[in-house]
Amino acid sequence: MMEQLSLLDLNNRIKDCLKNNLEDSYWVVSEIGEMRFNQKGHCYLELVEKKDDEILAKNRATIWSYTYRNLSGWFESLTGQTLKPGLKILSNVVVSHHEVYGMSLNIKDIDASYTLGERAKKRLEILNGLKEDGISDMNKDLPLPVVPQRIAIIASSTSAGYLDFITQLENNTAGYAFRITHFQAIMQGSEAEESIIKAILDVNAHIEGYDLLVIIRGGGATLDLECFDTYGLASHIAQFPIPVITGIGHERDETIADIVANTSLKTPTAVAEFLISGIKDFEESIDSLYAEIYEYVKNTLKENRTHLEYLSKHIKYISYNTLKSHSAKLSALSRGIQSAANGRKKVLETLVQNYIQSIKLNTIRYLDLKNKDLKNISSSIGILDPKSVLKRGYSIIRKENKIIKSARDLKEGDLIESEFKDGKKSSKILN
Amino acid sequence: MAKNDLSYQKAMDELEAIVKKIEQNEPDVDELNDMVVRAVELVKYCKTKLKTTEEQINSNLEELD
Repeated sequence: MMEQLSLLDLNNRIKDCLKNNLEDSYWVVSEIGEMRFNQKGHCYLELVEKKDDEILAKNRATIWSYTYRNLSGWFESLTGQTLKPGLKILSNVVVSHHEVYGMSLNIKDIDASYTLGERAKKRLEILNGLKEDGISDMNKDLPLPVVPQRIAIIASSTSAGYLDFITQLENNTAGYAFRITHFQAIMQGSEAEESIIKAILDVNAHIEGYDLLVIIRGGGATLDLECFDTYGLASHIAQFPIPVITGIGHERDETIADIVANTSLKTPTAVAEFLISGIKDFEESIDSLYAEIYEYVKNTLKENRTHLEYLSKHIKYISYNTLKSHSAKLSALSRGIQSAANGRKKVLETLVQNYIQSIKLNTIRYLDLKNKDLKNISSSIGILDPKSVLKRGYSIIRKENKIIKSARDLKEGDLIESEFKDGKKSSKILN
Repeated sequence: MAKNDLSYQKAMDELEAIVKKIEQNEPDVDELNDMVVRAVELVKYCKTKLKTTEEQINSNLEELD
């Protein structure tokens, strides 16, 4: 006869068997499947192990309310994530078997560092994926507009962060004008990713109207940033044609959305401050450029004026000098001419003097000579005078007052006149 | 060079050239006279240009303030 057991007996045996054969507790890797709480705050969940979408193993599990309160707070503070379905965890479980509820795993502890490692791994995969697609730096490489004033903003309109942002921009002390267009989106929870992507596409539909896209999330729960770590949102941000600035409002490591965005800041207020100070910097740079131009113009004009004055004086100076040297040359020349002329004049004068002297001398000599000649001639003339000839015994015969030099000129009977030294006598030719 | 074609820089270049010519080429008196006449004309042109430029710049800059 087979031994008959009551169900309770069987369950007790199973319980004993488990108790005797298993360790007190195990560290088990699993994914949270479902999760719910009862009124007392006890947490009932399903732990599953999946390969792709196929469920390989599944167990019911519990976290008692006291343990849950401690565990969940600590877990969230470390990982920035709430315990929720889909999360991979490493938990310390005690296998228990209840006569009524069957086998269940009671979670005593959860290793947050495992989940962190898992998330880091997932993030790395997404980042590598973005890199492989060649889009991870696209938004980062866009230059920020110099003065972004037309701003599209994706935020939840009721969030404190959004209101702070708007107030800060609209009341900036410098009085810069911003044109802000709000696009509503759910910024946390399971619908957030889809909602934000839809808003991004709405902005893109009128992209020419905006200089910048700001995505902010602030106030309320600072946890659950999972939607900002997804490939979908990250790829939309990365490929957005205008710069995206994030102000997601968290203190832990930046999300993937922050990494691919053009500029990421901690809070919405920081984004507003960034925009205002950017414009302020621009205004200051314009002011300083203006001052530089002013200085430059002043200096250039001054330099030119100085140079012109110098040139003008210099030309005057060198012109006078040139003129002076011409004038000096002229005087030298004129002096030269004068002295040369004087010299020449003296030479000529001497020459003339000499001539005069020599003419005088020669004339006197000549006259002397001629006087002597004259005397000689006079004495010669004296010898030849007919009177002296008459004295010497000669006489002159004339016929009719003509001197007769030949006997043939006289014939018989002619009357002649003979002149002697002491008078004349007339006679008649006989034969 | 006609006055209309003149620019500040051209005028300055010409002035420098005149200085060089006077200093190095030993111009005769007629040439010197021509050069000085031209130089005075150029200096006057440059001064006028500087003056009007300064006035224009000042009035433009005043608009910014």
